[in-house]
Parts: sequence; structure tokens; C-alpha cells
Amino acid sequence: MLRDVNTRKVMKNAFRITKHKYKTALRVRVPGGLGDPLVFRTVADIAEKFGDGRIHITTRQGFEILGIDMEDMPEVNEAIQPVIDHLDTNQEKRKAGYPASGTRNVAGCIGNKICPKAQYNTTEFAKEIEDMIFPNDLHVKIALTGCPNDCIKSVMHDFGIIGMCLPEYDQSRCVACQACVNKCKSYSVGALSIENNKIVRNHEKCIGCGECVLNCPMLAWTRSPKKYFRLVIMGRTGKKNPRIAKTWLKWVDKPAIMKIIANTYEYTAEYIDPEAPNGKEHIGYIVDRTGFEEFKKWALKDVELPERCEVVPTVYWDERKIW
Amino acid sequence: MTNEYIPQAAVIREIIPHTEREWTFRVETDGTNTKPGQFYEISIPRYGESPISVSGYADDFVDFTIRNVGRVTNYLFDLKPGDKLALRGPYGNGFDIEEFKNKEVIIVAGGTALSPVRGVIEYAYYHPEEFKGFSVICGFKSPAEVLFRDDIERWKERLNVIQCVDGAPEGYTGPVGMVTAFIPDIEIKDAENLQAIVAGPPVMIKFSTLELQKRGIIDHNLWVSYERRMHCGLGKCGHCKMDDTYICLDGPVFRFTDARKLFD
Amino acid sequence: MKQIVSKEAFNEGLAKLLTEYDIYGPVRHPYRGTHSDTDKIQYQQVHSFDEMEWDEKSQFSPKSAVLPINQLLFYFVEDQWLEASETMRKILVFLRPCDLHGMKRMDEIYLNNGAPDYFYERRRKMIKFVVVGCKETYRNCFCVSMGSNVPEDYDAALNIRDDHFELDIIDEDLAVFAGREADFDIDYVTENTFSIEVPEEVDSQYLAEHDMWREFDSRCIACGRCNYVCPTCTCFDMQDIYYKENEDAGERRRVWGACMVDRYTDIAGGITFRSKYGSRMRFKAMHKIYDFRKRFGYNMCVGCGRCDDACPQYISFSETIEKVGAVMKQKLNEEDPA
Repeated sequence: MLRDVNTRKVMKNAFRITKHKYKTALRVRVPGGLGDPLVFRTVADIAEKFGDGRIHITTRQGFEILGIDMEDMPEVNEAIQPVIDHLDTNQEKRKAGYPASGTRNVAGCIGNKICPKAQYNTTEFAKEIEDMIFPNDLHVKIALTGCPNDCIKSVMHDFGIIGMCLPEYDQSRCVACQACVNKCKSYSVGALSIENNKIVRNHEKCIGCGECVLNCPMLAWTRSPKKYFRLVIMGRTGKKNPRIAKTWLKWVDKPAIMKIIANTYEYTAEYIDPEAPNGKEHIGYIVDRTGFEEFKKWALKDVELPERCEVVPTVYWDERKIW
Repeated sequence: MTNEYIPQAAVIREIIPHTEREWTFRVETDGTNTKPGQFYEISIPRYGESPISVSGYADDFVDFTIRNVGRVTNYLFDLKPGDKLALRGPYGNGFDIEEFKNKEVIIVAGGTALSPVRGVIEYAYYHPEEFKGFSVICGFKSPAEVLFRDDIERWKERLNVIQCVDGAPEGYTGPVGMVTAFIPDIEIKDAENLQAIVAGPPVMIKFSTLELQKRGIIDHNLWVSYERRMHCGLGKCGHCKMDDTYICLDGPVFRFTDARKLFD
Repeated sequence: MKQIVSKEAFNEGLAKLLTEYDIYGPVRHPYRGTHSDTDKIQYQQVHSFDEMEWDEKSQFSPKSAVLPINQLLFYFVEDQWLEASETMRKILVFLRPCDLHGMKRMDEIYLNNGAPDYFYERRRKMIKFVVVGCKETYRNCFCVSMGSNVPEDYDAALNIRDDHFELDIIDEDLAVFAGREADFDIDYVTENTFSIEVPEEVDSQYLAEHDMWREFDSRCIACGRCNYVCPTCTCFDMQDIYYKENEDAGERRRVWGACMVDRYTDIAGGITFRSKYGSRMRFKAMHKIYDFRKRFGYNMCVGCGRCDDACPQYISFSETIEKVGAVMKQKLNEEDPA
């Protein structure tokens, strides 16, 4: 029977301190939200054997296995090992469960595994990021979404990675049916017009949603094989000043995003408030404190931006009390 | 191998305005092989080709009556006599005057569709003795939109012409009503052999042919002129096809026995 | 002449032909499909056999090689019209049997419906066809039902084998390959995964009034994919363009048209025919299995199934033909129950 419990350690080990004393719940990470039968079976087995049979599906695409006796935590850590192995989650010590919980599961929309609109495989990208940043105690939320529809709500994250399609036009295949012009106008931003029976694209306006390609019956519009993204930053939920993330980089690529995220961890380590309650300070508040310019300086250190990348010089957020 | 697509530049001899929006362009070109009801592909500057009915012709000119519908035809209406128009044609079968000679004839036409039948009427005006009777009902939206005003007045001298308008401001003294309203009053001597022609928008064709059938005109003697998108005029582009019929090759003039089987 | 030709000898022969011929074949473009990380397979000029993609059905047909998608007809300056030139080189198109049957239908419209089309004939005279035998049917194919499975009237044909080619050369101009004589037949599919029956009797007027087309009013989105991928759709639009720098000069082109797409029937005065998509579907279907046949004696559709492959709304043309058949059968039964 447990009597003394270090709650910090428990939480860091991805077990929750619940309202029911001595009852915990295990938070299982599923980067990019893609599981398979082994993951589900293992989670189900643990719920049956150690939990009260209930499994909560979290908003960050993880599982929370409810009603576990704290006494069983070591055994549960052993039992979850197949999931950790299978999803290739970084771990410091085998069979010791999750080594950290500060940096949250990297979430992804369904992505181009099946979604017709998505520009890239969100799960694969999410795993690469997860691999780079986990385990870490710093409180960072990252979400990836396949297209500007933003089904994962990446604009509520510290980093929102939104797939962009760079449309390329082969005018010798264009028959001027104007499906692209009409769809861009009705579904998107109206970046296309017709001139002399050929299409003119306003790159400034274009948000890379890919509707032109999707709706081109001749495939005169195709996607550039190079993947581009829009990076929106410092969105958040929470009691204090929730806000929508703002676009910082347009037409940025994956290597640049990876480096920026890595840099951000260094920046956060440098500037996190040592007096912060429980040592936890949300990165958005740190940026608020240091100012955007300082964040930018750190984040862009040694980053090679693709030639066509557009950088918003200074990002301003709408600070608005919603209560 | 002749290139049927190449247009000829033809000098505009005269521009005859009928209304503010409808003008006849008299163009210097060989009209000896032209028949009423045929059409030419006219290159509308800044737009492209458009099939336009022949509204008149002689050995050395062909007339086209065109409505200014705004953006598409604006540049055309900036042209002056002496300027050139690019055109190719004539296309389509057109009306064969021989079919109408020594017969009673009724022509029902609406708006610009008076163009394709104008040549037939002109022939009758100059040769009234070759017909056993010749009536024309031509309808326009309003008095301001009446086309070929002078012609109509002239035709009235020798032919039975009813020129009506769908609606008119107060004080207008001419006939008011749809063309169909005037069909029952036309005097008919020998319905069985009477030849009737209907030219106009689809709805007008539908109701006018019905009225004419009611008067005992038989389908074989009922002629219609169809307007579809004769885009190439050569049976290739496909736009004007109705069922199995290419209007540009097989029409645009049909006996109603054939036309009644046509559908879009 | 039938011969077995090694891969090397085949490529050498092709290299010889390339000095005189522009060669067209299906080419895979990775990542250029409608959806991300999918491919596009279209016909275009190639410089070797390896560039061609034969494992999968090409999404677009070879008609672009014969009828360019955008074809320049004239340059114009003021009242001068200058005819655009055509390639002086000969053209060799590699294609499947069904697509060669499609070419016959294109010829019918462009050469025999009215006077021969000047621009089509001019290019067509330069073109020869090499059939690539079909061993297996692809999804949605129904060439056997349409009688277009058997390769006919080719200038050359070949079977792709593991390490060699079987080559049947008819046109002597193409007999440039070193190989040994042999006897074989060019592969063709004798059975598709499904077969359909095209109704002998099609009453287009009756069908025009039938409500069978109304389901397509809402299902079809009038995108025209079925037209654009079809090897037998021949319609075109003409376009005039005016140079920005000098609006008195410009070009007249023709580009592929589509009877499913808006504006196809529009005439002056804002009049449109077949505004309902189901009616457009009927118009297209009738052309493919009825009115072309009435004019030329055989069906237009060759059963390549690309329209079904391409339709984002999962409308099946082969199933539509079956629906037409069912409606006609019912009509005949009602007229004559015996």
C-alpha cells in the first residue's frame, strides 16, 4: 500500500493526479494521432487489467486510461512498453513509462494519408518533431494540419504547421474552363483571374489551399513536388488571454521549421521565469515578456529559409480579454 | 486542302443603325453564293468569332444585323465605314426560295431573327407576283427596338405585314401583343399548301409553330430557323449539335417534320 | 513483319526513328496528381521507351498528340491572318488498342463530318501509331463490350516482354529494328472484369424526356473530367487572344471543349441550352452510344473507362449505359408485352 507519493514525479511520468486520491490515469502519447490495432489492444488490455475499464480519448490525440491504482504504476509502465516501442517514442529507461509530460503530444489532422485536401503526411512530420523534442518538460504545444482548413485547430497552438500547396501552371494544358477561378473565389481567397483565356495567379493573395489543383480537370494546375508550409505561432487556450496564432512564415519548408522549433527550446530554457509556479511557464507568455524580436533572434538562428519564404517582420497578436 | 478557318477581311461599306443597340453592317464581299438563312462566322474584335445570320445580300455585299450586347460587341460598334471586318462563310443550308414560289407564305419572326428571313421577304417584295399571298408578322419587344423600320414600311406597300410589339408606352397606336396573338387573324386561302417560316428565340418557335399548326399548316410546309452555338460552322466543334443533327451542317433551316424531332 | 527484338536493339531502333519522328507516349509525373503525393500520367513527347509508363492506365488519352490541347491556328495583325505552322517532323504515337480505336473516331469527326478539318488533317498526315498490346484489363475497362479490344489498323505493334519485345511492323518506314523473325500475336484483352450490353435500339427522344437523368442533376458537378480524359471527345472551343502590348495583334487558337462544362451551348442574348447537368450527361451519353453510331455506323465509346476513373463523384458511364439499356428494355416491353 502506497503512503508517500511524489506527485511531481508521478506527473512527469505521465500519470495524472486525479480528484480521487490514490487513483491515477495514464496519458498515452500517439504522435500525429495515428494508431494501429497493437496500440489499441495494449491500451485496452491495460484498461481492463489495471484500470476501471474506461478510456478517454484526449483532445491531443492521446489516450487516458482511467481508474488505475497508484500501486500499479510500475506494472502499468511495464505493460505500456509495447506501445512506446511500437510508436517509437523516445524513452530514457525501458519499462519505466514516459519520461516527461511537459511538451505535449504533437497532434496532427488526418493529413494526406487519406484526406483529398491535405498537402502532406501530418503523422510522419509529427513523428519527426516528436522525435526531436521529446522528452522535455517545457510546456510546448505543436499541431500539424494538412491544409488551411486547419481541422486540427493549429491556430490554438504555440506552433501551428499548415500545409501549403504551391500551384504550378502548365498553360499548354489549360482549356480555360475556369473551374479553378470559380473554386478559388467561392472556397478560398479569390487569387485567380482569367486574362486572355489563361489564368493569372496572385501570389500575394494565394494561401496555398490547393483548390485550383483539386478542381483542375486537365491537371494544368499541379502541386510543386516541394512541400511548403505556413507557420503560425503563439496561439493558446487558457484562463489568461487565449489567442489565435498569427502567421509568421509563409512558404517555409520542413528543415527550417525543425530548426526553428529546436531553437525555440533553447530560447525557452534561457528565458523561462525561474520563479514560475512548478517551474512551468507557457512559451507564449515568455515571448510576451521578452518581446517578439528577442524570440525571433533566437528562433531564426542558423535557419536557412527557402528562397520563396515570406517572413512577417513583426508578429502582432490580438490581445483581447474574452471574459 | 483549303483552309476553311481562315477569315477574309472585308470592308464595311455602310453602317445602318436601326435602334440604339442594333445596327446593320453592310460588308463588301461576294454575295452571289449567299442565301437567306445562312450565316457567317464574324470575328468580333477583342472577343472571337460569332455566328451571324445574313440579313441581306447582293452580288457585291452581305448585310449583318448585330445587337450590341455590351462587353462582347463593344469594339464592333466602334467601327466606321471603311474599316474591315474579318469573316468566313457562308455556312448552313439557308432558305431555298424555290420552295416558296407559287405558294401562300406566312413568315413569323421575332427580334433579330428577322435577319435570317429578311432575304426571303425582300425577294417577295420585288417579286410579289410569284407568290399566292405573302404575310409577315414581325414582333419586337418595344417600339424602340423595332428593326428594319424603313424596310417594314416599304414591305407594307406590297405585302401583308403586321409589325407588333410585346409592350408599348401609352399612346402607341400600332399593334401590341406577342406574335402568336396575330397568327389566328391572318387570312388563309389554302392551309394545306401554305408555307410558313418561324424564326426567333426557342420559346417563340415553340408557341408560334403551335399556333400555325392550329391554323391547319402541315409540318412538312412549316419551316423553322434554329439558332444554336455554331462555333466553327464546319461540323467539328460540336457545340451546335442537337441529338444527331449538326445545325451548322444540316441546318439552321429545317422543315418542321425534321425540326420537331430535334431537342437539345 | 514480326520479329523478336532485344531491349537494346529496340532502343537502338527507336533512337534511329527519333531522328525523323517525334515520339509520344504516356509519361508518369510523380507528385503531379490531383491529390498530394499522387502521380499524373499524361501523353507527351518522349525521347526513349523507358520514359513511358505502361504499368498503369494513363489518366489522359493520347488524343493530345493528335489534337493538341491548345492549338494555335492563326496570328493576326490588323486584317492580316497568318496561318500557324505545323510540325514538319513525322509523329509516332505509342498507345493501347482501345485508344487506337479512339483515333478512328476522331478521324471520323474531323475528316468525315463535313469537309476535312484543315488543321487536323495537316497534323494527322504526319502521324503513325504503334499499338502496345494489353495483357490485362485495368479497373473500369470495358473495351471487350465495345469491340475495341482487338488491335486494328496499326502501323506497328508490340508486346512488352520481360527482357525483349515482340514487334509487328506493318509500315516499312518503321522497319529499323534488328531482331529475329518469329510468330506471335499482339496481346489483347478478351475479358474485362465486367461486361455491358449496349442497347441496339436507342430512342433518344424518349430518353430525353425520361427522368433517369435527373439523378445526375445533383450528382454531377459538371467539371468536364469525363470529357477531357475521353479518347473520343472531339469538341473544341475557339479563343482569340490579344497581345497586351498591341491589342490589334493576337492569335486565334482552339482548345479542347467539353459538353459537360458551363457555357458550352451559350448563345447571344443570354440563352443556354441543357442547363441541367443530367441533361448534359444524356447529351454526352447519346453521342457516345447513339447519334455517332447513327451517322457512322458504330459506337463512339471505346470502353477505356477513363471517365469512370476520373469522375470525382463516382458516376459510372458504363453503368449509365446499362441504365439506358434498362429503360429501353422497359419501353419495348410496355409497347409489346409479348
